[in-house]
Amino acid sequence: MMKMKKIYLGVCLVSIITIMTPGCKKDFVAINTDPNAISTPTVPYLFSKAELDAFNAGYYASQISNVAGFIQHFANYKLTSGFGDKYLTNNEAGTALNTYYQNTVSEISDVIRYSQDPADVNKLSQARIWKVYVMHRMTDMFGDLPYSQAAQGYTNNTFFPVYDAQSAIYSDMLNELDAATQAFDANKATFGSADLLYGGNITNWKKFAYSLMLRLGMRLTKVDAVNAQKWVQKAIAGGVILNDADIAVMKYQSGSNTINRNPIAVDLIGNDYSATAFGLNLIEGDKYSDTYVNYMKSNKDPRLSVMAVVWNYADPNNPVPDTTFANQKGMANGLTSQPVNFQSYSEPNPATILQYTAPVMVLTNAETNFLLTEATLRGWNNGESAASYYNAGVTAAMHQWALFGSAGVISSTKINAYLAAHPFAAGTFDQQMQQLHTQFWASMIYDEYESFSNWRRTGYPVLTPVNYQGNNSNGTIPRRIMYPLSEASVNSTNYNAANARQGPDLLTTHVWWDK
Amino acid sequence: MLITAQLLLAKTSNSQSIRDETITIEAKNEPLEKTLKKIEKLSGFRMAYPSEKIVQYKNVTLLKETRTVEKTLKLILDNTDLDFKQFEKKIIIFEKNGIKNPPSDAADLQGNIAGYIAGVLKGKVYFDDNSSSVPGASVTLKNDQSVGTITNNTGAFELTIPDKYKGTAITIVVAYIGYIKQEVTVTDINSPLVIRLKPASSALNEVVVTALGIRKERKAVGFSVTEVKGDELVQAREVNVANSLEGKVAGVNVSSLATGPGGSSRVVIRGSGSIAGNNQPLYVVNGMPIDNVPSTPNTTNGSGTNLNVDNGDGISGINPDDIESISVLKGGTASALYGSRASNGVVLITTKKGAAQKGIGVEYNSTFTAETPEVIPDWQYQYGEGKFGTPVTNQQDAISYGRLSFGGKLDGSNVIQFDGVSRPYVAQKNNIKNFYNTGKTFTNTIAFTGGTDALNFRFSVSDLNNKGIVPNNSLDKKISNLNVNAKLSKNLSIEAVAQYNVEDNFNRPGLGDALGNPNWGTYMIANSVDIRKLAPGYDASGNETLWNASGFATNPYFVVNRFQEKDTKNRFIGYASVKYNLLDNLFIKGRVSDDNLSYDYTGITPTGTAYAPQGVMNVIKYNTAEINTELTANYNTRFLKDFNVNVLAGGNKQQHTLNGVEVDGSNFNIPFFYSLSNVNSVITLPKYTKTAVNSVFAAADFDYKSIAYLSVTGRNDWFSTLSLDDDHIFYPSVSGSFILSEAVKLPSWISYAKLRGSWAQVGGGAPNPYGINLTYSQLAGSTIPLQQISRDASGNLIVPNNKLKPYTSQTFEVGTELKFFNNRLGLDLALYNRATINDIVPANVDPLSGFTSAYLNIGKISNKGIELLLTGRPVKANHFTWDVTYTYSYNKNTVEKLAAGQNSFFLGTAVNSYVSIYAEVGKPYGEIQAYALKKDAQGRTVYAANGFEEQGNLVDMGTGVAPSAMSITNSFNFHRFNFSFLIDGKYGNKIYSGTNLYGDRFGLLKSTLPGRDSGLPLNGVDDNGQPFNYTVPVSDIANFYDNRKNISSFFVYDGSFIKLRQVILGYSIPTNSIGSIKIQSLNISFVARNLLILYKKAPNIDPESTFTAGNEQGLEMFGVPRTRSYGLNLMVKF
Repeated sequence: MMKMKKIYLGVCLVSIITIMTPGCKKDFVAINTDPNAISTPTVPYLFSKAELDAFNAGYYASQISNVAGFIQHFANYKLTSGFGDKYLTNNEAGTALNTYYQNTVSEISDVIRYSQDPADVNKLSQARIWKVYVMHRMTDMFGDLPYSQAAQGYTNNTFFPVYDAQSAIYSDMLNELDAATQAFDANKATFGSADLLYGGNITNWKKFAYSLMLRLGMRLTKVDAVNAQKWVQKAIAGGVILNDADIAVMKYQSGSNTINRNPIAVDLIGNDYSATAFGLNLIEGDKYSDTYVNYMKSNKDPRLSVMAVVWNYADPNNPVPDTTFANQKGMANGLTSQPVNFQSYSEPNPATILQYTAPVMVLTNAETNFLLTEATLRGWNNGESAASYYNAGVTAAMHQWALFGSAGVISSTKINAYLAAHPFAAGTFDQQMQQLHTQFWASMIYDEYESFSNWRRTGYPVLTPVNYQGNNSNGTIPRRIMYPLSEASVNSTNYNAANARQGPDLLTTHVWWDK
Repeated sequence: MLITAQLLLAKTSNSQSIRDETITIEAKNEPLEKTLKKIEKLSGFRMAYPSEKIVQYKNVTLLKETRTVEKTLKLILDNTDLDFKQFEKKIIIFEKNGIKNPPSDAADLQGNIAGYIAGVLKGKVYFDDNSSSVPGASVTLKNDQSVGTITNNTGAFELTIPDKYKGTAITIVVAYIGYIKQEVTVTDINSPLVIRLKPASSALNEVVVTALGIRKERKAVGFSVTEVKGDELVQAREVNVANSLEGKVAGVNVSSLATGPGGSSRVVIRGSGSIAGNNQPLYVVNGMPIDNVPSTPNTTNGSGTNLNVDNGDGISGINPDDIESISVLKGGTASALYGSRASNGVVLITTKKGAAQKGIGVEYNSTFTAETPEVIPDWQYQYGEGKFGTPVTNQQDAISYGRLSFGGKLDGSNVIQFDGVSRPYVAQKNNIKNFYNTGKTFTNTIAFTGGTDALNFRFSVSDLNNKGIVPNNSLDKKISNLNVNAKLSKNLSIEAVAQYNVEDNFNRPGLGDALGNPNWGTYMIANSVDIRKLAPGYDASGNETLWNASGFATNPYFVVNRFQEKDTKNRFIGYASVKYNLLDNLFIKGRVSDDNLSYDYTGITPTGTAYAPQGVMNVIKYNTAEINTELTANYNTRFLKDFNVNVLAGGNKQQHTLNGVEVDGSNFNIPFFYSLSNVNSVITLPKYTKTAVNSVFAAADFDYKSIAYLSVTGRNDWFSTLSLDDDHIFYPSVSGSFILSEAVKLPSWISYAKLRGSWAQVGGGAPNPYGINLTYSQLAGSTIPLQQISRDASGNLIVPNNKLKPYTSQTFEVGTELKFFNNRLGLDLALYNRATINDIVPANVDPLSGFTSAYLNIGKISNKGIELLLTGRPVKANHFTWDVTYTYSYNKNTVEKLAAGQNSFFLGTAVNSYVSIYAEVGKPYGEIQAYALKKDAQGRTVYAANGFEEQGNLVDMGTGVAPSAMSITNSFNFHRFNFSFLIDGKYGNKIYSGTNLYGDRFGLLKSTLPGRDSGLPLNGVDDNGQPFNYTVPVSDIANFYDNRKNISSFFVYDGSFIKLRQVILGYSIPTNSIGSIKIQSLNISFVARNLLILYKKAPNIDPESTFTAGNEQGLEMFGVPRTRSYGLNLMVKF
């Protein structure tokens, strides 16, 4: 009996030791595998995310409360966050850059890395074009940036990327657009439905790429007119977006995850224009700028009633949005305290802008037609007349509000009346540029980055800067966004080299194409 | 007399009883002495017996069986004239003798000792420290050791002096283990001797608990170990027991936080050893680790985010009443057997067990305390609400300037306030008192013990009920603990512990930034507005009542009345061990423990919140399990006559699993209906991690004649989180001690002297799971499939590194323990040098690399320090004793190395990044960086054109971690009264005070008074170095002081303090006066914690008001006010 016990115990002992023998660690691989992650990416899903993330970087902080304040689409009375309106430095706009690199730039780079098989050439081209779209917006805001070494922390262990000169970035982006467009092969697969922009339609991607080439080429007019003309003409020859059917629009749903929702609406509702604020007690204190509203009102622009509301407190217990044209009123830029009757200033229309299902206009025929107008004025285009392109641009810009739902529909009658009242006037090149690009500024609201870039290139519309005491731009409208604070401390060598090349890291420094 | 006896009992409560300790022994017709020696070896008890007497008894035969030591001795001494008695770790065997009751003092003795017997020297031996007699002491002739005897159970002896020595001077030697040998020269053989033995040292006999729960004699331990007895923790209590260690152990830096009663504690032993990793010790209960990871949403961070609350940590789930002792294993050597988790030291908790006894023992402990805010800010009360030196004139302005006290002179006139009502313009000095309640904590524990030699148990139930000082905040914690010990057969014994906790927290207060923080507005409201007028905090439609310009500074009453926070922790800690004796000196032991937490959290930011009008709802549910399985074998033998060796070898398998789900919802579709079914946007995230570490370890302890000791340990860990081909690390240690006072003769005033030294290499910061390879994850809740690179638990993108190892911490330590003047004075000194090499540094990579950080094994951080413990008994009289304990520690911490090219590593930041905390190369860990006031070369202040002081450079202000700490405890015993108080202090650190920065911005600080009447004249230079003379107009004073937020160095203060930490005044009620119930003891005490701040430099705050248990120490800002607590404690034993 005793012996049995001892044997039994011995068996127990041996088995316990066996269980615990560390050499026996077969289960370690299983234990260290995250059940909620996969080891190789599903490239189409990564591409979808890269497309969406081009617009997900704190729209409010980076665009509305910054750039939109610079160019007086919006105004703000608070000091805590009114940095854009009053040209104060603030890190929030710069932080968006980090978000972009860690999401869309990183993702699109991975898509490119995983699409090197010749069979994937169309996917590769889509990804290359999208990368140009993402990168040009960033370099336009900041100037020199990590480009050739961007987002390579894992692939090359490049933890401190060098900054490329903006001139080099532009040169490569334009070449990429050219090469990627030519590489399309109609017989090969695309991302199909995972491509949220065009469902994998190669023809549309080509038009999109050439339209982007038109935008980028035109950007060079101040710094390198020769190349500007070369690329603009190449774009026109390639075929840009001209019809409503071809425009690049990101569509959204009102899903439970905010990533599926329109990021502009999400951010505006989240930061300011909540359903229960009724035009009052806005967290950050924004309204439409009176510069913008006055322009729209003086031109009897039918878009004002589509995009703007004031709050009617006739029944104090049930304030309602009021889109009446005559009641719209902008708020002066540079205020430091809340104006009385704050609710009577115009803000985004809940029925159009503040819809989670609203679209984001990525690149449309409104813009291409405006740029073709300029190309024609410059003699770089032999198509239709400048006025014809201008009218097409305005029509498209107004027509597109219909994509925001029934409240956004502007009738052809109204559009035609507007055009009749405001024809593309004859005049000097500068006068025509002024009318054209003021219209560009009026039309491109909510793509604040592009509006700001176009204003810097053309100087139109002419804006009166506010001179808030203690501003960081000597009372002039800023010319760029400052790098995120972390760059100076973490990547100081390359950061300093960039500043030595393009000028100090200030709001007033001009980027390369803005010389 | 009685009190000293109690003290003695308390001291020895740790020793095991011969009634409980079992041995397995057989004897086959062997001499009695041989059997006794066997018992000595098997039981660990030392035997003292009169050798010359025991040889006369017949041989012993005993069947092999497991019995208690007591029973074994009874069997073998059954037919002898010998009796035995346990005294501490010794068993005294002596001749039975007719005297029943020993005399109580020397006077009685004279009468009891018979007169002269020719050739026989008589006498009696007493313990010097408590006057009881000493049975079993050996008495020998100095120059003829063959002449000797042993004292009987009354301490008396008769030594027959051989005739040959008659007429010569006789010297006898009286010896007793643990006491100083005494030589007495007999001048008159006819006069009976009275000999008093002085203890050699309590340290000689003291047993301490070391790694894996192994008990060792203190003198055998080659490293610093401090033990805190459980009874020191149960009178003046802390809700989190870890906070009770504050001021009790040299070298242990406890930061109790300003986060409310259910919060965490930060314990750092001998300085921060890791740059970015966990710096807190491993908590071990009964030899097996428990999980101290704070519950998520994590303990607060510096900047403070939505519902920024401290959800408590693992150690807060241990009931102090269940604790027998806490051993703090400070150095690496002490904890080396825990390998990769031991780098920050180990806090080893041993819980109470049952004992064989007649009937059931019952202990009841009840404490009631009240808590009130400890520090009331000293604001200015001359000027009231307003911005421009005048009172506000309309409701809009009253809201806009709701937190500004830059108004007119408080003159009692009627002035409109935020709600449109005009009230007298007078100082509101009681806003803090009026908003906060008096906190109440009521703790009741009842414990039952009982059982037999074969099976005994202890069962306790505890209920802690706390009503926080923040209205509607409460905590209820119930802990039940069952400990069962059983001897299943003569060789097999088992022990099992089952603990079950239920903890319910309601409305833990938000901290740090203003959002959802009830403390923010309470402190910052303009000084002429009565905080109570903000109640109830919402209007008729449920929206927050606005009281200031920022929607983020939430109305305090809105927070306490409308925000909802509830978390429930159900925790089970199970422990089971089986011990089997294979041979008399070889046993194996298997242990399993499981610390299992089920956590359920709901946080609601309600509809109508100014900064989130449509509301937010977060729900988190998860389970964590920390499971340890361990098998050890222990072999003990003697070799080369004087050497004893104990060898231990074993293996451990550790697994930690977290499995749960987090649901984040926002925007309630139907206002005020708080359900996840009603949110407009919802994201569900799985939470899952699993890690495993397999280990083998071995230790050998050598003992030479109880004079010199040497211990060698080694442990090898294999990690699931490392790549398979390179996944293990070895951790060695060696330590030794030498009892100088045993080896050589020292001057008589040195009672005891021990030297010790050790070296160890342990590890820490095992990599997080899933960090080897780049992986991709689906975006939860998306309507279309979206994928991205996987983030870590905090959402960071970290470059995978499959070469990452736990860092290595090397400790070298020397120390000494000395006792002087018959133990009236004791000194324990330790010097250590601890270096962490290959520290895991999350090198900040450029975010434009696509990642936030890359973990690299390259950091180095060193800690050098000294620890001193002095104990003394300045006064000792019959009914009065005074004991003093003093501790001092100094730790020099230096960050030696970070990643290449990296000079500083960011640890955390205050709200709005006014200051930040860094680990900087060449500086102590946790350097606070703030902006200086700009001065020119001649030291003149530089002013901007508008008169604002200009911001200077970022400068290092000093570390947020106190390098020095000191404490002194005085205990007095007088008859039935005892009184003790603990004073402790820390110094050498800095603290950033957000409360003062905002108090300055908003005109509450007295330092904002200059210039209020007629403007503030400035004298300095302008940007061009030209003299600048300007008077800031009264209307601009608010902006002038507000601008000081940019010069944050103004608000970094010396964080030193001295506090009257604890006071206990107790009375032991005579139990014979309590009627028929049989009460063994009854104690009632007045208890108080954090009674007074005796010294501090930081104004308006308690310098201990940090609000995170994380590595970013030294930030204060609107935590829950720290409280002083006082109340009554009742302890009854039946």
